[in-house]
This record gives sequence, C-alpha cells and structure tokens, in this order.
Amino acid sequence: MTITEDVAILPEGIAWGLLIAFSILWVFLGWFLGRKNKTAEDHMLAGRNVGLALATATAMATWVTANTTMTAPQLALQLGVWGMFGYSLGALGLILFAPLAKRIRELMPHGFTSGDFIRLRFGKFTWRVFLVVSLIYAFGWLVSLAMAGGVLINALSGIDYRVGMTIILAVCVLYTLLGGLRAVIGTDFVQTIIIILGVAFIAWLTIDKVGFEAIHFNLMEERPELLNLLFPAAIMFLFNNLLFGVGEIFHSNVWWSRAFAFGRSVGFRAYLLAGLLWLPIPIVAGFIALATPALGINVPVADMVGPLVAAEVLGLTGAIVVFIVVFAALASSLDSLLAATSDLVTRDIYRGHIRKSASQHEQFRATKVIVVLLGLLTWAAASYRGELPIIGSLAAVLYFTGAFVASAIWPVVAGLYWRRANPTGAALSMIAGTTLGLVSYFVIGFYVAALVGAAVSLAVLVLFTWIAPRDFDWRSLAEAEPRGTAGATGGVR
Amino acid sequence: MTTERMPNPALLWALLLLFWLVPGGSSLAEPAFDSPPERDSAGFFSLDWSGAERFELEQATGPDHADARIIYRGSDTSTTISGLSDNTYRFRIRAEGAETWSDEAVVVVEHHALSRAFLFFALGAAVFVVLLLAIVRGRKLA
Repeated sequence: MTITEDVAILPEGIAWGLLIAFSILWVFLGWFLGRKNKTAEDHMLAGRNVGLALATATAMATWVTANTTMTAPQLALQLGVWGMFGYSLGALGLILFAPLAKRIRELMPHGFTSGDFIRLRFGKFTWRVFLVVSLIYAFGWLVSLAMAGGVLINALSGIDYRVGMTIILAVCVLYTLLGGLRAVIGTDFVQTIIIILGVAFIAWLTIDKVGFEAIHFNLMEERPELLNLLFPAAIMFLFNNLLFGVGEIFHSNVWWSRAFAFGRSVGFRAYLLAGLLWLPIPIVAGFIALATPALGINVPVADMVGPLVAAEVLGLTGAIVVFIVVFAALASSLDSLLAATSDLVTRDIYRGHIRKSASQHEQFRATKVIVVLLGLLTWAAASYRGELPIIGSLAAVLYFTGAFVASAIWPVVAGLYWRRANPTGAALSMIAGTTLGLVSYFVIGFYVAALVGAAVSLAVLVLFTWIAPRDFDWRSLAEAEPRGTAGATGGVR
Repeated sequence: MTTERMPNPALLWALLLLFWLVPGGSSLAEPAFDSPPERDSAGFFSLDWSGAERFELEQATGPDHADARIIYRGSDTSTTISGLSDNTYRFRIRAEGAETWSDEAVVVVEHHALSRAFLFFALGAAVFVVLLLAIVRGRKLA
C-alpha cells in the first residue's frame, strides 16, 4: 500500500526541497567534521576522546530512531497504552549499559569492536557465533531504518517509497564515508536538538487540537482494548521490549564503539543521561497514534500511523516538522549503524578472517568499501518491503532480530562480570536462545521472541558455567593487544 | 506423427454463454478482500482489498449486520484494525455509492489467554531481576 501524490498532505515540491536541503546539510557536516581525520583510529573512534555533551547527544540521538519516531506510534496503535509505555522501557538498555561502558573502557583501553572482546574473552568459536548474531541484527536494523525513510516520505508527500528510501540511504552512506565516527557524532548533536524540539512541538499541538477527552471517548467507543491494562499481547510485550532493547545495546558495536570513543570518565555518565533523556520520547511520539479514532483517519499500514496523524492534525506545518524530525532521527541512527557495522566487518571479518596481514591503509580503504556495500545490500532488501513475509512492517523486521540480540545479553554480561563463565556455554546460549526465540516469533508472535531468547540463553549459560566453570584473567584483555591496534594509531594518508 | 485435436466450437460457445449468464460472473471486477485473516489472537490485523476506484468498508458483529457502521470511505486499499474485544467481526466492502456489498470477511478475534500473558510477564520479570543482580554484584566484585 502506498500513498498517492493527490492525497498526500505535503506538496511534492516542498518535500523535494526539504529532502535536498537536509541532504546537503548532512553531507556538508560529514565532510566538514571528517576533514580532521588523519588516522583509522580517528575515522573509527573519533580519537577516543569524545566529551560528555557530544557523548550524551550521540547516544540519545542514535537510540531515537525509526524505532522511536515511527515504530512507537505503530505499537501504540496495535498494542495500546502498554505498547508505548513498553517501548519507553527501551531506555533501560542505555541506562544499564552505563556501568558496562565504564568496565569496557577499563578492561580494554585499546579495544576497537565488540567482536574484539568476545574473541579475547571466549575464543574463536563463540566469536564467530557472535558475529553472525551481530551482523544479522545490524542488517535487520539497517533495513528497518531504510524502510522507515521510504515510508515517511511516501506517507507525507506521496513520493514513491523506493525513491525516498534510496535518497535517504544514499545521503547517509555519503556522509558516513566522508566523515567516519567524528561526523556521525557531530551530526547526532544537531539531530538531537531537532528531535527533542520537534517531538515536543507535535505532541503539544496534538493535545491542543484534539484534546484528551475526545481521544479517550473515541478509543472507548471504537478500539477499547487499546486502553485495557490487561491486553494480553501487550502484557507479553512489556518485558520482551525491555530485553530486546538491552540485547540491542549490550551486544551491538554501535554502542561498544562509542564506549571506546568516549573519554575515560565519560561513558558511564553519558549513557545514564542519554537513557533518562530518551525515556519520555516514545511515549510522546507514540501518544499521537491514539488520536486515530478521534480523527477518523484511515491507517493503511500500521507503520505509517505517526506521520499520517501528525500531518492530519497539524496540516502543512505539522507535515514539515514531522518530515524534518524523522529525517534527523533516521539519519542519526543510519549513519551510526553504517559506521559501526563497517568497523565490525572490517576488523572481525576482513582482517580477522580474510586478510589477516592487511595494512592500515588497506583496512581504512576496506572500511569505506564496506560502507558502500552495506548501503547497497540494505537498499536491495528494503526494496522488498511488503513482498516478503519478514519484511512486512517496521516492527516485524525489527522484532525478528529480537531473538538474535536478546540471546547475546548473557555472553556479554557474563563475559564482563563472571570470572568463571564457560566459553562453549556462551556460544551455545546464543545458538539455543536464537533458535527458540525464532520459534516463538513464528508460533506466538513478534512480541515474545526476545523474551524467550534471553530466558533460554540465561539458562544455557548458567548450566554450562555451573557444570564446567573456566577461570579467566581479566588482565589479559588489557594486555592482549587487539589485532591491528598498533597499526591503527599510525597515519594512513 | 501426432494428430492435434481441435476443440469443439459449439462447446466453446456454450461455455462463453454460461459464463455470461451465471450470476456474479460480472462481480470479478467488483471490490473484494485479498486474503483476509480468519482468526486473530494478537489484537491487531490488516485488511486489504481491490477492485474499484473508491470504497466503503463496513464493520459489524452480528450476522444480520444490525450494528454495522462504515469505518472507512475513500480510495485506500487497506486498513489496520486494532483494539477490538473478543468477538466475531464481519467486514463488508463495496464500491462507493454501490447499493450492494460485494464481499465479506469474517474475522474471529480471540486474544491470548491472560494466564499465558502473565506467564511470559513473570518469565521476563525474572530474567530482568537476574540481569540487575548480575550487573550490581558484578560492579561490586569488579
């Protein structure tokens, strides 16, 4: 289902103008911020000295994404009030990662990727299982972000889904190529300010124009279960979403690369602050979907509800604000993910498996080639939105990866804190957790996949560690120099 | 050598006439649902349709459509249904302005049992508590 240009709220000319203006802005910032990059370490970790303000902004902006600005309204429409409150529990992922970020920085002062940690802590077999989990997740997230870009532009302006998706993806690939993590963090700061102001503006105007009473009355009349606190699927969803968020953040190189990039005492405070600032955003963004019955608008596809309601209530101004906010939110996450995933592929696949003697210059070049390849693969998959079972809606794509990431929570936590965690148990916990999580995804629904994955993974790892504990010396993480570190600090130009 | 058998022209004419005469033969061009779900336990589903320029979609609960109401009128070809309580729902579609409904979809909404929902809730809460304890205890030991 697509919106046609004759029923779209944003005139096509204005949409193209905004698209071009913000594309130029992000690409210019990417070039401007990235021009100081002299080494691979600059490009991948922004010199390892990011301060508190930028660190908090990048953590928050990256976590405010298509998931927040578009999937939160979708979940409010599908699962009611628990849908949006449950979504806000994703903040706990950032908050709980705060102590982990501190420990990661202390244990691995020369670390580059989450893959480095798993390889040094648990060995090659667990490392390879972890890479599969991590790359499937990263790809699923990339596809959902690209889809969100296309949906947004189509819902507001009627411009073809594939055209919008292609432009947003191309812009993010371009400025990530130009600026690396430094550009990603710099643009995140600007995007955070736009997101906070824009979301608050939209929610305030929605309440002002529709009113709580009308929203409540129409929900009770037409969609009463959305207000039911005993909505079964929504109850199942609550901890599922919490564990999904925790799994996403704990394992993903997006967050590990920031833990390595932030200054020594910055990581803990930055992640804590970012989590607290992020907490209300899904509720504010999701709330507007509950106004759907009061407005009497049709929602052709659930993931379009946010932009559709905002544009309907707020007219042209609202459509423009939504367009800018979601474009900023998408770009801030898409660039982070492209940068972090290309780092992971470069170091753990290219240098770890394919070309172990790759020079610094070759790695630097490989990072850029991989960003382009990731962009192309994402584009190909996102082109099949609605045509393949899993690539149905944003939530369907995103929560499919829930089984994978939630099963990686325990290998990361045990790896950082349990001296006797069993390496084979860590690998098998991811395999068993993912398998049973996927079974529950298809048999029960997307709202339990992460929960089942996390529970099974915990049981397997505890069992193996109890039966066959293995001692580990934490100092070996700091002493053992992750592959390529020495070269990574050298010049490449 | 093979001999190709030509179809009987009289038979072809008879089939064509039958197709034209049978009621509903012309309804191929009328609005119809596209694979509507029969049951729903999640609490949300979508309906897709096609076959006209503009449509009217009606929702009712009883077979007599006594409580029917139009829930959509326009050119979209799908909608998201959510927030319905346990019941059997009947959706009918027609071209806007047409006198008769051209297709009906019957969807049984039966939410998951609360016992199952709370089982997953308790499981999630237990995993979360263990996670908190692991991090707090780990920080102290570290």
